[in-house]
Amino acid sequence: TVDTSHEDMIHDAQMDYYGTRLATCSSDRSVKIFDVRNGGQILIADLRGHEGPVWQVAWAHPMYGNILASCSYDRKVIIWREENGTWEKSHEHAGHDSSVNSVCWAPHDYGLILACGSSDGAISLLTYTGEGQWEVKKINNAHTIGCNAVSWAPAVIPGSLIDQPSGQKPNYIKKFASGGCDNLIKLWKEEEDGQWKEEQKLEAHSDWVRDVAWAPSIGLPTSTIASCSQDGRVFIWTCDDASGNTWSPKLLHKFNDVVWHVSWSITANILAVSGGDNKVTLWKESVDGQWVCISDVNKGQGSVSASVTEGQQNEQ
Amino acid sequence: AGKEPTTSGEGRERQANPAALGLVPRADPVDSGSHFAPLLGLTDPGFSDCPDLKMSRVTTALGGSVLTGRTMHCHLDAPANAISVCRDAAQVVVAGRSIFKIYAIEEEQFVEKLNLRVGRKPSLNLSCADVVWHQMDENLLATAATNGVVVTWNLGRPSRNKQDQLFTEHKRTVNKVCFHPTEAHVLLSGSQDGFMKCFDLRRKDSVSTFSGEATEAGQDGKPWEWVMTGWVPVLPVLSCCVLRLHPSFAHGRMQDAECGANGACEDTLCGCSLGPLCVTPFHSQSESVRDVQFSIRDYFTFASTFENGNVQLWDIRRPDRCERMFTAHNGPVFCCDWHPEDRGWLATGGRDKMVKVWDMTTHRAKEMHCVQTIASVARVKWRPECRHHLATCSMMVDHNIYVWDVRRPFVPAAMFEEHRDVTTGIAWRHPHDPSFLLSGSKDSSLCQHLFRDASQPVERANPEGLCYGLFGDLAFAAKESLVAAESGRKPYTGDRRHPIFFKRKLDPAEPFAGLASSALSVFETEPGGGAMRWFVDTAERYALAGRPLAELCDHNAKVARELGRNQVAQTWTMLRTIYCSPGLLPTANLSHSVGKGGSCGLQLMNSFNLKDMAPGLGSETRLDRSKGDARSDTVLLDSSATLITNEDNEETEGSDVPADYLLGDVEGEDDELYLLDPEHTHPEEPECVLPQEAFPLRHEIVDTPPGPEHLQDKADSPHVSGSEADVASLAPVDSSFSLLSVSHALYDSRLPPDFFSVLVRDMLHFYAEQGDVQMAVSVLIVLGERVRKDIDEQTQEHWYTSYIDLLQRFRLWNVSNEVVKLSTSRAVSCLNQASTTLHVNCSHCKRPMSSRGWVCDRCHRCASMCAVCHHVVKGLFVWCQGCSHGGHLQHIMKWLEGSSHCPAGCGHLCEYS
Repeated sequence: TVDTSHEDMIHDAQMDYYGTRLATCSSDRSVKIFDVRNGGQILIADLRGHEGPVWQVAWAHPMYGNILASCSYDRKVIIWREENGTWEKSHEHAGHDSSVNSVCWAPHDYGLILACGSSDGAISLLTYTGEGQWEVKKINNAHTIGCNAVSWAPAVIPGSLIDQPSGQKPNYIKKFASGGCDNLIKLWKEEEDGQWKEEQKLEAHSDWVRDVAWAPSIGLPTSTIASCSQDGRVFIWTCDDASGNTWSPKLLHKFNDVVWHVSWSITANILAVSGGDNKVTLWKESVDGQWVCISDVNKGQGSVSASVTEGQQNEQ
Repeated sequence: AGKEPTTSGEGRERQANPAALGLVPRADPVDSGSHFAPLLGLTDPGFSDCPDLKMSRVTTALGGSVLTGRTMHCHLDAPANAISVCRDAAQVVVAGRSIFKIYAIEEEQFVEKLNLRVGRKPSLNLSCADVVWHQMDENLLATAATNGVVVTWNLGRPSRNKQDQLFTEHKRTVNKVCFHPTEAHVLLSGSQDGFMKCFDLRRKDSVSTFSGEATEAGQDGKPWEWVMTGWVPVLPVLSCCVLRLHPSFAHGRMQDAECGANGACEDTLCGCSLGPLCVTPFHSQSESVRDVQFSIRDYFTFASTFENGNVQLWDIRRPDRCERMFTAHNGPVFCCDWHPEDRGWLATGGRDKMVKVWDMTTHRAKEMHCVQTIASVARVKWRPECRHHLATCSMMVDHNIYVWDVRRPFVPAAMFEEHRDVTTGIAWRHPHDPSFLLSGSKDSSLCQHLFRDASQPVERANPEGLCYGLFGDLAFAAKESLVAAESGRKPYTGDRRHPIFFKRKLDPAEPFAGLASSALSVFETEPGGGAMRWFVDTAERYALAGRPLAELCDHNAKVARELGRNQVAQTWTMLRTIYCSPGLLPTANLSHSVGKGGSCGLQLMNSFNLKDMAPGLGSETRLDRSKGDARSDTVLLDSSATLITNEDNEETEGSDVPADYLLGDVEGEDDELYLLDPEHTHPEEPECVLPQEAFPLRHEIVDTPPGPEHLQDKADSPHVSGSEADVASLAPVDSSFSLLSVSHALYDSRLPPDFFSVLVRDMLHFYAEQGDVQMAVSVLIVLGERVRKDIDEQTQEHWYTSYIDLLQRFRLWNVSNEVVKLSTSRAVSCLNQASTTLHVNCSHCKRPMSSRGWVCDRCHRCASMCAVCHHVVKGLFVWCQGCSHGGHLQHIMKWLEGSSHCPAGCGHLCEYS
């Protein structure tokens, strides 16, 4: 039993790209990084710099070095970087007027781009332009009342019909999804002039959208987004057509309590959902397209209840 | 605590309150509510869960009087500096530099009742820094003016001008005035000039003056020296009081603490237009007093706070020295407030953005709690009836009002976001009602906030963190209170499979801690739950090239089977069946690669083939059996066949599937098998000529050791053999697999292999959709040209890149590199060329070539000259590893054809191979 030594509630825990480190953030204003290799847990760093509860952390792709972004109630986004084994603040973004609720790094193919969603309703995009400089683009009034979550679409080269000249850098279409207090999920697309434009508005939730997660695209032609809400519902949105304009929702489940998080497995076939009852459920799409709960991880006991499959028993 | 439905009332409220900052307030109790209410028997309105009351009026019965109201605001003509509530909780006074008004708090709105700013040209005496309403006398008010004047007001005066008394004793802005809580005539003031004065309202002058310079009583080593100054002409010093001043007082040194070097008044509250003007020759170095507050506990005690970070405790009867002094904050202490119930508690707020709670009952002031806010703290007010709650507002930057639970110092319990500019005054409406808060602001508005309408960051806060790790493990952090509750219900049994990595120890002494802490655990998921161990194993063990197709398929099937992925294993087997003619292969391979995943159908096929090829049995044997012999007979035969298979197996591939393994499986389904068997064989015989043709062929091949080359050659002609028997027997297989389409196709035995490619394509898509892009890519590589043309380039590329991405995440660099190498997609194979940097050193000076040209910067000679033609080599450069001379590939080749010596003439005998 090891103490995270956080003095208040933990709001987010994120594993890095290689699954070796775990970053946690808490109301106590700190961000902590643990080495979790081989089942151990060693505190590597305790990052202090925020002046309010830290809501979320996000790891950047390791090709840019060890970079962690955190966002806080203090309206700031801090980008931390590891240099010679020590973590230091590398950039501080204070462009929001209210609590920043979510941060998400764009796929590494785009370069270092960070999307930040804030309670002031705006989403800002920080792009690293080299030499410690960050360019800021802001989408004002992205969500009235506030934005709760942002999630990038995987990098896909657009237009399967357009033949890319070899050697030339592919022209990605950057997209991300955001969820907000206006009960909407919005999809944003970067125009050719570099401006961000609202591409889609997905409407199904009846209360604040708490989290959105764009599924990693592992060989799939379809785009998939999972969203969860204050209303207890989790939707799976899919889009089959190439233009990406028609999204159809499918209700995964209606929970009795707020659903806080949705998280895709790396192969995008399993969705982890955590709800207000402190339970994590794992969902998988069956052959007939229905989502079924395959496991039920109950927080406190660390036991698996509900459908214990044969495989699980064998494992023991 | 649930959420509220959007009611029409809410909409109305939005309209009525345009200043609201957008956030829909979520009114949920932050605290259990156990701390309040019972005292006065009031129905705790702020904590009722009734959704109908949301944003509507709230009524509180308080000992006879009734408080009703809702969140509302009204516009003032000018920025407010301070507010104070009348003891009847029905009126509020707002004071500022150019405003001094009394408003009645009605149910729906504020109504202006009285303007105390009378006269055509209001004097500076009316420029209020602070205002206080007497808590015993409804008619009595006091204001502190920015010019140092303290004025009292009597609302009972019949004339329009309600001004009662005027004390012009302070030399600079008076920051604070305070009535004694129980003594009707005692008024205390604290000023920027560093003095606190106590007034008896029945007299014209102050009763006593307290200097911030004073040290703690009974302490030696005083930081300041004290001098008796006697009479100072400018100051109307009281006869009853001994005035003590600091030596620098006489020098009149100007040290304007609150005004920065740039002249800008940092202190927005001070609003000191007098700024430099108010500096008198007697302006002392003493620290400015920012707040004075009478203790509720001790009749004679009051606390004062200073700009140097000190807090002093005074006895009103002892103006010569303070009772106690301690440094509370780093930088100015702007405010303090005595706890209404815990009488010894004093909350202080400072520019260091902190609110501290001190226990003053102990010998040394003990810091009980410390709340970190995001901006300097201008005001602090304990929330009535809530032992641990206090409200704060900031002096700059932040316009919101926060209510904190001091035990939860990081997140405000509630937040009021109505104001558009700095909030300058806050006051709880009634000393026993926790739900109404009044505030005045620089944005010229007066607000009544309802606690239940406050936005609650705690509620907004995500109590859970969830992350899917790379290996399918889940990191999950959750609020501990819920955890604790649950574990009480169902005790933790210590499941080893799901260890709780991180667990915060609960402090039983402080149950509240549970509410604000989280447990973080990392769960390992079981295979069905997405663990990715198989991915790594598979990636590492799969063979993708370098061997004949059949072997690759077998190998991969074996790998898959060993990892318990039967469907994948089956697929490999089928691919082999499709693309490598089954008739040309030792059928034994086929049979045991089916493995556990195989079902009756395959077993059937298995037995069938075995029969066919069993040496010495020949077609006669087969005919014999096809007549439908006794079951025992067939079983016997089958087992013998199995044995043969295994022998065969060892000969050919050395596959190590145990014999009993197969045998056991077959036996289990014997009945079914051989019931089916005759049905299949009988119709075949009379109709088909093909099988008979096939027999000799098979025998031939089986007899010859199946060399890999051989297999490879024949692989492309799968329908040479009479695979009908196989095909037919395969049919039932498919019912147990999801690859239904394959079975249908197999019915038609005369189809070219191309026919299957559609199915294979579908299969690959199926796997990709299942999240197993690994399978799709592996098959793609293994089958190579056989399927490539059927899948569009884009998809292939996508699969490749996805798979490579995954491999890299798992740090499987070698596998990833192999995949890149084997891929046929241009975009993918160029990945290997990207991000490879060549570092070039000059061949003469051995230093790195810094510029991109061919001339070394350091030795100014051309690098990489051809030893033959003495020109710079820009293309392929070949050099001798012995003497390191070289040049153009063609030149060197040509040279070495004629001579074996180095073209450079170094005498080395170069060799080109």
